[in-house]
Amino acid sequence: MRAPTIAELLADTIVQRALDIAWSDSLVTDPSRRHEEGGWIYMEVASGTIAVRRSAAGAQASLDLSAPPVVTGSVVVGTFHTHPNPSAEGWNPGPSTADTLSAIILGVPCLIRADDGTYSTGPDSRRGGLTGGPGYPP
Amino acid sequence: MTQTTTPAPPAIAGDRALAIAQADAATAYRDLSSYRVHLSLELDGWHIDYELKDPRMKGGGPHYVIDASAGQIVSKRYEQ
Repeated sequence: MRAPTIAELLADTIVQRALDIAWSDSLVTDPSRRHEEGGWIYMEVASGTIAVRRSAAGAQASLDLSAPPVVTGSVVVGTFHTHPNPSAEGWNPGPSTADTLSAIILGVPCLIRADDGTYSTGPDSRRGGLTGGPGYPP
Repeated sequence: MTQTTTPAPPAIAGDRALAIAQADAATAYRDLSSYRVHLSLELDGWHIDYELKDPRMKGGGPHYVIDASAGQIVSKRYEQ
């Protein structure tokens, strides 16, 4: 068993569904309440099963994914979040510098849903593979 | 003998440039409490960058270049 790549995560129906729901929950059509949503993608080490957990809602342009809940027998293999602010109003829909930096620090791929599609940044798969215990890799 | 000249100070001071950026940023971002602001005078004007205080956070802030002689926003980029 190995950690999934960004391409494999993006092709996973559970991950796709999680991105869709997070996008819907971001209230993108409401300028006064739109905000970032997201969470963590886990892989059960023994079976390779993918699962997701949602984080608390974020702010208009930020989200704290630094403390994933421990899921017994699973490790974090990615994060996902939304960019709810519209590119038509001048917002950059793609990964920010902080998105990339945090993905490198945390050691897992970062998937992003924006109004013009889905983006990714950070490592192509979990740093060090599936070893290192629950949560983010050491 | 070498002659040197001291560059004239910018017509727009840093605190004024920061106020211009802050007014725009507060409108676009609502809450700026999670950002640290970097201000520097470059050849093309004042660069004002809002960066998240916690490097593990996802997200982004606004980035501005403000004309140091006229006080106009030359460019801005909203990251999220």
